[in-house]
Amino acid sequence: MFTTGSKLLFGGGTVAAVGAVLYGVLVAGALGTVGLTFAAAVLWLLGGISAVTRDANVSSMDVDALHYTAAAAPAPSASMWPAVGALGVVLLAVGLVTYQVVVVFGLIALVAAGAEWMVQAWSERVSDDAGRNAGIRGRLAHPLEFPVLAAVGVAVLVYSFSRIMLVLSKTGGPVAFGLIALAVLVAGFIVAVKPTLKTGMIGAVAAVGALGLVAGGIASALEGERDIEVHETTGGLAEHGECATAEETHADENASQSVAAKANVTGEVTLRSDGTLVARSLGIAGTADSIVVTRNNPTNILFRNDSDEARRLVLDAGLRYEDPTDTSSEQVPAQHCTALVEKGGTQLLTFTIANTSAAQDAPMTFSIPGLDAASVEVVVP
Amino acid sequence: MAIIERPAPAPSRLVGAPPRVTADTSYGVFRRPVETTGWRSWLFTVDHKKIGIMYGVAAFAFFVIGGLEALLIRAQLAGPDGTLLSASVYNQMFTMHATSMVFLFAMPMAAAFGNYFLPLQIGARDVAFPRLNAFGFWCFLAGAIFVNLSWFLGGAADGGWFMYAPNSSVPFSPTHGIDFWGLGLQITGIASLTGAINLIVTVLNMRTKGMSLMRMPVLTWMVLVIQFLLLFAIPVITVALFLLMFQRIFGATFFSVADGADPLLWQHLFWIFGHPEVYILVLPSFGIVSEVLPVFSKKPLFGYPFVVFSGAAIGFVGWGVWAHHMFASGIGPVSVMVFSIATMAIAVPTGVKIINWTLTMWGGKLKFTTAMLFAIGLVVQFTLGGLSGVTHAVAPSDTQQTDTYYIVAHFHYVLFGGAVLGFFAGFYYWWPKVFGKCLDERLGKINFWLMSIGMNLTFGPMHIIGLQGQPRRMYVWTEARAGEGFFNMGFWNLVASIGAFTIAVGVLLFIFNVVKTTRSAPPAPLDPWDARTLEWMTTSPPKAHNFDALPEVHALDEFFHRKYEDVGEEGHHDLRRVATAEEILAGEEAKGDHHIHLPSPSYWPMVLAFSLPVVAIGVIYAPVVAIIGAVFALLAMFGWALEPAVADESDYEPPADDAPGTELATVGSSE
Amino acid sequence: MPRVPAASSSSRRLIALGAAVAASMLIAGCAKDAPQDTWDPAGPNAQKIHDLQWPVFAIAGLVGVIVMGVIIYVVVRYRDRGQPIPEQTHGKPALEIGLTILPALILIGVAVPTVGTLLALSKTDDTECVVNVTGQQWWWEIDYPPQAGCGGIDRALITSGQMVIPTGTKVLVRGTSRDVIHSWWIPRLNGKRDMVPGRVQTVRLEADEPGIYAGQCTEFCGLSHANMRMEVVALSPEDFATWLANQTAEYTAPEESSLAADGEAVFLSQCASCHQVDGLLTADGAPAIAAPETRVYAGAAPNLTHLMSRNTFAGATFDLLTSSCREAVWEASPEEFGAAYLAGVTPACLNSVDLREWLRNAPEKKPMYADPTELEATDFLTRGMPYLALSEEQIDQLVAYLLERQ
Repeated sequence: MFTTGSKLLFGGGTVAAVGAVLYGVLVAGALGTVGLTFAAAVLWLLGGISAVTRDANVSSMDVDALHYTAAAAPAPSASMWPAVGALGVVLLAVGLVTYQVVVVFGLIALVAAGAEWMVQAWSERVSDDAGRNAGIRGRLAHPLEFPVLAAVGVAVLVYSFSRIMLVLSKTGGPVAFGLIALAVLVAGFIVAVKPTLKTGMIGAVAAVGALGLVAGGIASALEGERDIEVHETTGGLAEHGECATAEETHADENASQSVAAKANVTGEVTLRSDGTLVARSLGIAGTADSIVVTRNNPTNILFRNDSDEARRLVLDAGLRYEDPTDTSSEQVPAQHCTALVEKGGTQLLTFTIANTSAAQDAPMTFSIPGLDAASVEVVVP
Repeated sequence: MAIIERPAPAPSRLVGAPPRVTADTSYGVFRRPVETTGWRSWLFTVDHKKIGIMYGVAAFAFFVIGGLEALLIRAQLAGPDGTLLSASVYNQMFTMHATSMVFLFAMPMAAAFGNYFLPLQIGARDVAFPRLNAFGFWCFLAGAIFVNLSWFLGGAADGGWFMYAPNSSVPFSPTHGIDFWGLGLQITGIASLTGAINLIVTVLNMRTKGMSLMRMPVLTWMVLVIQFLLLFAIPVITVALFLLMFQRIFGATFFSVADGADPLLWQHLFWIFGHPEVYILVLPSFGIVSEVLPVFSKKPLFGYPFVVFSGAAIGFVGWGVWAHHMFASGIGPVSVMVFSIATMAIAVPTGVKIINWTLTMWGGKLKFTTAMLFAIGLVVQFTLGGLSGVTHAVAPSDTQQTDTYYIVAHFHYVLFGGAVLGFFAGFYYWWPKVFGKCLDERLGKINFWLMSIGMNLTFGPMHIIGLQGQPRRMYVWTEARAGEGFFNMGFWNLVASIGAFTIAVGVLLFIFNVVKTTRSAPPAPLDPWDARTLEWMTTSPPKAHNFDALPEVHALDEFFHRKYEDVGEEGHHDLRRVATAEEILAGEEAKGDHHIHLPSPSYWPMVLAFSLPVVAIGVIYAPVVAIIGAVFALLAMFGWALEPAVADESDYEPPADDAPGTELATVGSSE
Repeated sequence: MPRVPAASSSSRRLIALGAAVAASMLIAGCAKDAPQDTWDPAGPNAQKIHDLQWPVFAIAGLVGVIVMGVIIYVVVRYRDRGQPIPEQTHGKPALEIGLTILPALILIGVAVPTVGTLLALSKTDDTECVVNVTGQQWWWEIDYPPQAGCGGIDRALITSGQMVIPTGTKVLVRGTSRDVIHSWWIPRLNGKRDMVPGRVQTVRLEADEPGIYAGQCTEFCGLSHANMRMEVVALSPEDFATWLANQTAEYTAPEESSLAADGEAVFLSQCASCHQVDGLLTADGAPAIAAPETRVYAGAAPNLTHLMSRNTFAGATFDLLTSSCREAVWEASPEEFGAAYLAGVTPACLNSVDLREWLRNAPEKKPMYADPTELEATDFLTRGMPYLALSEEQIDQLVAYLLERQ
């Protein structure tokens, strides 16, 4: 019943159990007792599994065992996985005191080494025919290895390329892109036109190219990104209360000039060619110079510019608390605006107004900076 | 799959050569299951018949659970201002009642009938992908249990089975109920999708010789149509659930209005799935009724091509009517108009079926067995449900009816009166074939009348209270809105509740019937109903390999034509019986193949299926658990892929003392 | 062979069943005066729907009766009486095509008036008055934008629970929601329309005669969906003008050192952070501005300036009137209704039971998400009114104060 393999585990479990009892009685420490109890349970479980599966069963009475123990099996073949495992441990340790990303690489190396080492060790003992072993190992491990290697390889190449693109200037990037693409095209053309080229040679060239790409990527990553500007948006303008300007700002560059179909908006505010601003509310016939908006409700308004110049719509909603849920915080101007809309363009404005019109000193309005006569009152009951 | 090896017990060691250790031998607790009897033969089976029975049992269990949820709802609403269920519990109750009935009862019950009978009806020995079939069942069970775990872990989902956004997002539904609901339905969705692929391939590729598509029984046709519907509808709900789960768990903003989303997106996605879904629920019962009515009218189905094409037409047009669930949602008059007209159009193929069933009975020789009663019951009740459906195809009318009890009445008439009565017809009709005994007819008739009368008592008055203005999904109703007089909303609510309990008694009677039959009924003859289709050309229950010889088919209703011959002269038909079922079966067995290979059982489908709820739990609570589940899933996929379809000879332990449990499942046996 | 009982008893039972169903349907028409009866239209929009609905029901009913009749006939006539195996008819394509075309024609006949009614109900260019509605868990906010319609409204008005409209006026309801999807439904006046957050949807309302028309939220909106009700009150145009004048009346502070004055102080300290009363001044004389977004997730609470001019509260779930006073308003004839409604809630008619219970412990009275320990999902903002731990004395004072909000 007790196989050789299980004896150690059962023994260890028993010792742990005894230790748990002693520890619990003498030291009365909860953590240690629990820990030792769990250790006992785990060791017994492993021992049980080992016994049931009769793993590593070697008995001195069993003469035949000599012939089918691990010692009688052919010696394991060479393997790089112990080295990779060692590398992983080292990277892990080094990374813990230097860069965090190195820890990640170490962990990856450890996991890969662990898995591959296990698979290799198993496959070598499956039968005594090395060719068959290799086939079985392939059948088991290739469905995992090939996709993972391919994904990792492609990821590394793509990432390196991206770092290169980020370090080059805005004009240099497309040039480099074009050159690399040209190189790939030329290489492909040569391979297609000269079928007698040795695979080894193609492989070597590809390896050199890939290595170059990765090296370039590492160098670029260390160099750091070029200066990339952060684009202001109209939300940013609104935050700082700088909406009410008729000048072109950074936020207006490349702003969309049209709206994809948006059903059931609350209303439309149109800047007519005569410089007046009118509002049309859903369900109400005709235009008006005021619009009613529900309080504390995300509202969508469509702005249409029918005048001759590019204009921006600004909503001036009085004051709001800096922290919306804290009435003791500072009061800042509440503004929303669209980007500059060209003649004939439309944009959607989504906003929420926290306070009623009655709470404000001055009426809330939609206005166009630069056109004093253009104004629509916003009523929040 | 060999996990742990042992050396072959070869005597070669005595001559000094190292022993041959081969890969095919396995040992220990993880050996390949091969039993053909006992609980292990059910747990690891890949036989479509056993899987069909398991689907049926599980689905029926959820029918009872969903029914209990319904009884609680009706008990709460029997009087005004009920206090049996709090508002929160009531909301969970109606959500889970609908979820259990739609996803955990009706769909798997259709799968049960499809799985059991489709291969038999087309003359095949099993489905195209048996392990995938088993996987589908275990996936469904895992998902079903997972959804119901939420009752014990903080509260079940409470947003309604339609789960409209933004009410389904975290601020408005803070418990984990909806997370369990969404992930559980994703898991059961996998089951439906794999089942769909399986059955489509089976029908297209594995029909026996002579079985052209237009000679297939109508049940097979209807099941085929719904597999196509599932194939395209399940991905839509999968997408919708992904969006919802990402919003709830990872903070995405798909349905967040403040970030610019439109809540109607969910409605469109859900109902594009939801409308084909209701046809998925009801078409199999149409198929069952199309089998039962001809047998008990002693006439073939009237207008077989029309019935088949109208089924396909319903499946097809069903994709174009989804926004009739959204007539009041503000989609605009043009859309409303288009969908209103499309919904009226879909009444036409449904009407064709009713006409054909009625004309099948016309001029026939009607025998009112329980199965026939249920089938006629379906025709009657579904007509009523369909007519109320036409009244809400009229969109302006629907703006008064939607979200009231009138709609509840409509869909219960078509689902209970349609799907459920159809399933019960199938139970009583096919019980002798599946289990070898007929269910008691007297008890069956009482079962039928209790369920029919109960159904009409429950859902009939709902038309009235709906039109009188009682909205749905309300945990209480008040006297103030109930109207005056004796026959006000209060009266009809009480009647509805009484009806619900009547149905419950009917269902209990069915369970009693099953128990009594299993215990003490005599064995049934091979062909108790004088049936028409191929599944009756087998033993009762069918052998593991279904047919000793795959039958050759010469006509629609092949079995009937083998039993009866037309000996009349010109213009005059005179059918004479020329063979009994026993004689025909004996003839087939005499031609039997001797080398029938069936796929072997396997546990990988079950392992893979149960790793999915582990992943789901991890997604909700702790990512580590999700990773563990994913690892198990990966291992299971590998094990499955590397396992041969048929177990190796060496996987079988030599039987200790001729114990029956270890007989090889690869040879056509007499079980 | 399983035993089959005599077919005739089955068919007799079938007929009996059919008769029972039919009889119950007939009795249906006898239920009286349900306030939300969809078959009792009180305005032209509901009337148009009704005029479309009952012929469709009649046709459907007729078809149903015919089909049932045929089935009953078949079941009786062709039961097994020992006849030989019948003719194995496989079908009659001509008959089938005919019976397919017939329902199609009937449906076309139904489709045409459907489209007409639909277009008529979607008209918005003949609107005479616009009212905005905002749904929120679990009450309705109603506001009137300044407009020339409805007899002329100069400034925006806000109320909740009861929408007052003039009779014979084409009112357009423009609605949205602050949180989840609700639905506005006044059955006797028109079909329902969902109120979807981020969108504005419209529905027409017009009442022929003065009266109070009940409605309910009809899109599942969470815990107290059953307790989210509303009423539309139709007044003659003269009475409506009176109502308008009342709604724009100035705030009258309570008398010095009266119970109501104490109530005003309690209101300022306990209620004014969420509930707006226009014209109420804080201790330093500044207008008291409510900031419900600091306490409530959806950011609003009912405006209580003229609470006692309506007669329901808390999402129109509870009455402010005692049952006899309520009956006087609800059962009033169209001629007397205006006066009965405009009388508002007098001290003699106040239903203080419900109001006190609400003030004592609102979440107890109506299920809401107001438990401060369970609000993490909504950033510790409530959905609904929280428990305020008011003393009985404070409640008395508040009731006295609120009673003056006419």
